[in-house]
Amino acid sequence: MPAILEFRHVAFAHGERSIFKDLCFSIKPGETVALIGPNGVGKTTLLRLAAGLLRPSSGEILVRGRQLANWERRQLSCSVALVPQDLEVPFAFRVEEIVAQGRFPHLGFFGTLTAKDLAAVESAMEAVDITSMRNRIFAELSGGERQRVKVAIGLAQQPRLMLLDEPTQHLDLGRQIELMALLRRLVQRGITIVAAVHDLALVRDNCSSAILLTPDAPAIAGAVPELLRADLLEHAFAVERSGLDRYLAAQPLSPSNAVLAPPAEPGISDQNSAAPPKDNASEEYHEALPPQDEALRCRRLARHGRSWRNRDRN
Amino acid sequence: MGAVKLSFGEVLHALLHPAKISDVGVILFSLRLPRVLAAGLVGAGLSATGVLFQGLFRNPLADPFVLGASGGAALGGAIAVFLVPTLSFAGVGAIELLAFAGSLLAMAIVWNLAKSGGHFAMENMLLAGFAIGTMLNAATAALELRQEATNPGMRILAAWLHGEVTVPSWTQLSFVAILEVVALLFALPLARQLNTLSLSEEYAAQLGVRVQRLQILVVVTGSVLTALAVSLGGLIGFVGLLVPHFLRLIFGPDHFRLLPSAALCGAVFLIVADTIARTVFAPAEIPVGMLTAFLGGPAFLYLLNHRQRSSSH
Repeated sequence: MPAILEFRHVAFAHGERSIFKDLCFSIKPGETVALIGPNGVGKTTLLRLAAGLLRPSSGEILVRGRQLANWERRQLSCSVALVPQDLEVPFAFRVEEIVAQGRFPHLGFFGTLTAKDLAAVESAMEAVDITSMRNRIFAELSGGERQRVKVAIGLAQQPRLMLLDEPTQHLDLGRQIELMALLRRLVQRGITIVAAVHDLALVRDNCSSAILLTPDAPAIAGAVPELLRADLLEHAFAVERSGLDRYLAAQPLSPSNAVLAPPAEPGISDQNSAAPPKDNASEEYHEALPPQDEALRCRRLARHGRSWRNRDRN
Repeated sequence: MGAVKLSFGEVLHALLHPAKISDVGVILFSLRLPRVLAAGLVGAGLSATGVLFQGLFRNPLADPFVLGASGGAALGGAIAVFLVPTLSFAGVGAIELLAFAGSLLAMAIVWNLAKSGGHFAMENMLLAGFAIGTMLNAATAALELRQEATNPGMRILAAWLHGEVTVPSWTQLSFVAILEVVALLFALPLARQLNTLSLSEEYAAQLGVRVQRLQILVVVTGSVLTALAVSLGGLIGFVGLLVPHFLRLIFGPDHFRLLPSAALCGAVFLIVADTIARTVFAPAEIPVGMLTAFLGGPAFLYLLNHRQRSSSH
């Protein structure tokens, strides 16, 4: 199966300032990839490059095996959804109207929503559990509610790949855990996730692999336990070893039951029964990623999580 | 209603027998009816432009008058009246064309000044609009001073500066009406995309909106509508702010619904306002622009205050 997203020797600069010199990685369908690294290292830039909003100065970016430059913009928007960090809406749009904007790439010239579009909007709202707030004004929602609406916009696009820019930013612990559980459910629906996340405990518990961006050094991609190593983090975040050790030692969180056992959040079975309109390709996805695999992955993750912690204690 | 009192029966009679030439008929068909229609077109154009520019700048305070587009159109129109009267096409055209150029130029300047760091800062937008508008109005007034008082253009210019709906010829009226309807129809599909643009430029681009093309088309369409409105009514402020604001309270913020309803309600609003302006001190008239300034100014200040409070939360 071709990689869903691949960067080949990508270079990018903001004016004089070089962000990436030779960025290479590849992401397989069904993965949950964390993008980690210090502020200003280029996490948002990487996501914007992957969403086709920026063009690399050299190198190639491939989405589902096809060069980004060869994608028609709307087609790409039906495959890749970017969930930016902030969303401020100046007018009093209702939640439902906001989510419906996610259908834009699917609409015709006059932009009328068909029954299929309405069903996709409904399904997206159900998936993130915001149907009850459909008539509320977006600008009046709390941070956690807004994040869910943003994910729903992305879901309404019916993408294969969802890129999230710091989705847990400004959220309290409970909302962070809820959001990560939501992302796990999306993976089960066959959506590949790439998310910039700062909290390494969330990365460890929820992600299958990670890309570590370090200033002035090549990026490293790999399985989460391979990357969450004190020596790598020390360099990437420019932090003293003693401080880092204290931070890592202060993470004695045992993986939640949701990670140890296959996730049993409400709504998974609902999503299967209330199947959103899908094209054939996304059904292929479901076949490609049976639920057992997800459970296996979670157990593996949990095991890795423990070994990582143990190593740090030793 | 007006300086000359016409009874309902006389009006009905004149309307039913348009071929008969009578005093009532002349007043009705060459003065009152064109003026009412002109006021309707001005109101529709300004309100629709308000909706378009508010969506474009993602700001409910954007209005062709506030942004200086009306000022640009008035200056362009004034240049046409005094400097190139021979450019006219079938009696009309030069004024509208130069008004459009002026409006477009003003918008281009405001656009570049307001856009800082990839997004629009409200202060920049309002200040740039204020500066451009004031300069253009002053230039128009300077043009007025240089002319002989007997120049026939003076009457038009004075009316523009005060925001007074003039009595157009039927040729001019139909010319403006056709162009305005075309511009409004063209703007409808753009209005849907403005909904997506409400999220943010990045979001809209991510969803497949060709943001730059949309912005250019909205600026051009808005400038056409502004130029047409100014050619008939001059500097009438705040209509594009008041009408969309109240319609948003009723219909919600969907630009696709707002655009046609704003055109319709804007037309009704300005016909009523112009009728009041024409009759309150009859036989003297006050320019309708004064009336809208008295109504719209406080509404603008209220919105400004409201926005600042909500953004400081």
